[in-house]
Amino acid sequence: MASAYYEFYRGSSIGMALTDSLDELITSGAITPQLAMKVLQQFDKSLADTMVKQVKNKTTLKARLGSLRTYRLCDDVWTFIVKNPSFKMESNEIVNAPRIKIIACKNGDAIEAGKK
Amino acid sequence: MSFALPARQVTFGRSAAPYQQPSQPSQPTQPSLGLALPGATSYSLPAPSNLALPGPSPLSQSHTPPPSQPQSVTATSNGATSVAVAGPSTPPANAVPTTPVPLTLEQQHITAVEGIVPTLQNIVATVNLDCRLDLKTIALHARNAEYNPKRFAAVIMRIRDPKTTALIFASGKMVVTGAKSEDDSRLASRKYARIVQKLGFDAKFAEFKIQNIVGSCDVKFPIRLEGLAYSHGQFSSYEPELFPGLIYRMLKPKVVLLIFVSGKIVLTGAKVREEIYTAFNTIYTVLCEFRKP
Repeated sequence: MASAYYEFYRGSSIGMALTDSLDELITSGAITPQLAMKVLQQFDKSLADTMVKQVKNKTTLKARLGSLRTYRLCDDVWTFIVKNPSFKMESNEIVNAPRIKIIACKNGDAIEAGKK
Repeated sequence: MSFALPARQVTFGRSAAPYQQPSQPSQPTQPSLGLALPGATSYSLPAPSNLALPGPSPLSQSHTPPPSQPQSVTATSNGATSVAVAGPSTPPANAVPTTPVPLTLEQQHITAVEGIVPTLQNIVATVNLDCRLDLKTIALHARNAEYNPKRFAAVIMRIRDPKTTALIFASGKMVVTGAKSEDDSRLASRKYARIVQKLGFDAKFAEFKIQNIVGSCDVKFPIRLEGLAYSHGQFSSYEPELFPGLIYRMLKPKVVLLIFVSGKIVLTGAKVREEIYTAFNTIYTVLCEFRKP
């Protein structure tokens, strides 16, 4: 069931664009809202899988010891708030931030595995 | 980290370390001492919604020695005593070396073993919050909480000061581990209770009880474990293929000791601090017998 996937990729620019297009199609009567829902669910699944399998870019997160302000695990989602982290991108570019929030979810495979 | 708990609200009067308790008969001027001292456990607690204890503890003043007899102090207490009483939890205000009382039996025992005093490493306590809890709400709203019902049916929560971990169950029962002193354990438990309370539960603070105290120390000489296991066979279990230490089950006090060749000792299973000290004093004489040449 596709609805087991997280819907947060719908908030990305590609997800927003898809939602907008689907809205347009629904208002023009080209597709039914049910079909639009199905498309979005497939989008959730596909993006979750693609992010795991095809996105190879990496970044290294560095933070000093003791900079994890809070953490939380609930419903298989980890939340971390890290102070003063620095990211080293693949292009050797370094990005700093005073405070970041990391939200970590299970990927597509893990969701599938969890259902069995 | 702080959970924005005003420190004063959760601070309860730091009771003097229980091993100072025997000293009270000689201080009849402070009868309140007797009520507060016997382990931190015997406080009568205020109304459930109010975790704060009234005002600064009378203890901090009561331990200030009467100015009239400071001389006798220096005479009775020697260096080792001050080591003995300066336990990790002893607040400076309560430090006893200046208390004008004769040495207690406990303290004499401690001085007898060359100033080696076991350090408390862990204290496990249980509390009943006396209220059903919705663990998911707690996990979602409290910070530093883990809740994975597939693995374990409790919320695991940590605070930084005192550095402890709590297991919070849906029944309202709570286990607090990791504290280094009785006072810290109690303070931490109160902080957790306050956190749960702030999340909207009608949490009380009942049945606080210290379940286990773990201490450790180093006698600084190697020990012949085989010899010890042989002559104390009734209490000892030494299986170097399973575990490198000798497990010594002392009956009085009922404490389990892990004794290692290196001379390092772990003492566990005690309910009060004195049991750790008494057990160590008892075993020390035995260990000297089995000192490696």
